[in-house]
Amino acid sequence: MAEYQSFIGLEIHIQLLTATKVFCGCRNRFGDEPNTNVCPVCLGYPGVLPAVNEQALLFSYMVARALNCDLSKTAYFDRKNYFYPDMTKNYQISQFHSPIGRNGWIEYETGGELKKVRIHDVHLEEDAGKSIHRGTATLLDYNRAGTSLLEIVTEPDMETGEDAEAFIQNFRRLVRYLGVCDGNMEEGSLRCDGNISINLKGKGLGTKTEVKNVNSSRFLKLSMNHEIGRQKRALEKGERIVQETRLWNEAQSRTEPMRTKESAHDYRYFPEPDMPPFRPSPAFIADVDARLVELPVYRKRRYEAEYGISGDQVQFLTEEKPVADFFESTVTAGADPLQAAAWICTDIQKNLNKLQIGLEESSLTSLRLAALINLVKEGVINRKKAELTLSLMLEEDKDPDVIVREQGWEQISDSGAIEALVTEVLQANPKAVDQIRGGDMKPMGFLTGQVMKLSKGQADPKLVQAVISGKLGS
Amino acid sequence: MDIHELRITAELAMLDLDEREMKVFEAEVSKTLEYFAQMNAVDVDGLEPTTHVLMEENRAREDRTRDENLSDRLLEEAPERQGRHIVIPNVL
Repeated sequence: MAEYQSFIGLEIHIQLLTATKVFCGCRNRFGDEPNTNVCPVCLGYPGVLPAVNEQALLFSYMVARALNCDLSKTAYFDRKNYFYPDMTKNYQISQFHSPIGRNGWIEYETGGELKKVRIHDVHLEEDAGKSIHRGTATLLDYNRAGTSLLEIVTEPDMETGEDAEAFIQNFRRLVRYLGVCDGNMEEGSLRCDGNISINLKGKGLGTKTEVKNVNSSRFLKLSMNHEIGRQKRALEKGERIVQETRLWNEAQSRTEPMRTKESAHDYRYFPEPDMPPFRPSPAFIADVDARLVELPVYRKRRYEAEYGISGDQVQFLTEEKPVADFFESTVTAGADPLQAAAWICTDIQKNLNKLQIGLEESSLTSLRLAALINLVKEGVINRKKAELTLSLMLEEDKDPDVIVREQGWEQISDSGAIEALVTEVLQANPKAVDQIRGGDMKPMGFLTGQVMKLSKGQADPKLVQAVISGKLGS
Repeated sequence: MDIHELRITAELAMLDLDEREMKVFEAEVSKTLEYFAQMNAVDVDGLEPTTHVLMEENRAREDRTRDENLSDRLLEEAPERQGRHIVIPNVL
């Protein structure tokens, strides 16, 4: 069997988190009553004048910069002409000749390995409205028409569905870290089409197909791998690949050709005469740079290298920027990094889930967490009591030392007090004592547990064990 | 412009032209294209393309919602509605 090479490129659309639409002052909000956020501009009335949203430009330049693009010194808009009822003007304002960013690249991580994908361009455009087809009629809602949409086109630098899946997951984290998009693939605020071709190894790109309707990273992986297999089988049979758009059929787990019109697409792009070009000032570019953040993929690798945090923990810590920021400020406040990671990934998460709130909404601060971790480290309370302290901190909005004092939870590490407790337990359990004296260490755990119980959990368990051992000469 | 190109252009513009109109437009569009050809012939090497007459200043808008909402008035203009949806024949 011949050896093939596959090439995957992605066209990603993200809805920008702006308050208003991209060319008019209508509210940009998901889920409102149909046709409430519309005006003469986004409904395409004649004689109106679109004006570009500066926040949308700022977000777009931030993404282009984060993707290492050459930034356009003169960005202008073009009209992309086509007829479709969800776009009332019969053209979409987009960018073609002079997009915001070009010739970029970005690294993503898959299986612990960094891979690089080149970025063809980043351009700003308007989204279309929504149509609902009901038999012979179509219902139109233009709330989404004219909302800001940023398209990112990659070069065909990925090879497998797994690559594409990892890339889109990395990309989703990136735009969420930048705060420009919520990255919700099910709701369509992050959408992705895959371009894919295969060819005999060393022969370069093949004839590509485009796969649409992929609304999760998993479906992206499945659809790309399915398409690789389908194209391979076709080539093996001596067939030619037809350049076409295909749809991912979720129920059947396969791609299918999309019904298309015979006439070839010709969007007849031309510069949008209603809007002057945008020339970013040095101050604007400085603002863009000031808003860039350490990208999640590098943050994750830094935590691994610097702190030795790995696996699910490092994944969880770096998934959302607020959590990563919280972790770092806890470390800055003097907590041991591994302890901070463990607390954030398990106990804090458990408590937040129980209270059904997010970390940012909770009363927990990084200073309080660092204080709690240090109370354990200094032996003031044991780990078990620290967990209870955390729950109360969240419920009562108090500092950990206040709770420990109020509850009287300070660990008993006074050896005299512990000796008294141990003596009591040993007298009550002569059988266990005999066993240990006879060389069978099994009841050690039981006896320690009894002492802890008697101390209402406040004895220092290490000290308890030491005292038992000392008394029984083991 | 040959008639084949004109047919494609008309199709892209969703214009339904009959044979007589085709003849008329063939001549008229050709004349327009000649005018563009004259402009194309001008040597503009080294010049930045002008996409807008106001080249001086950016005209960006603050990301703030407008106070007035014209949506009800605009919806009244729709020939057919179902609730707040605009209804059109299913063309696809």
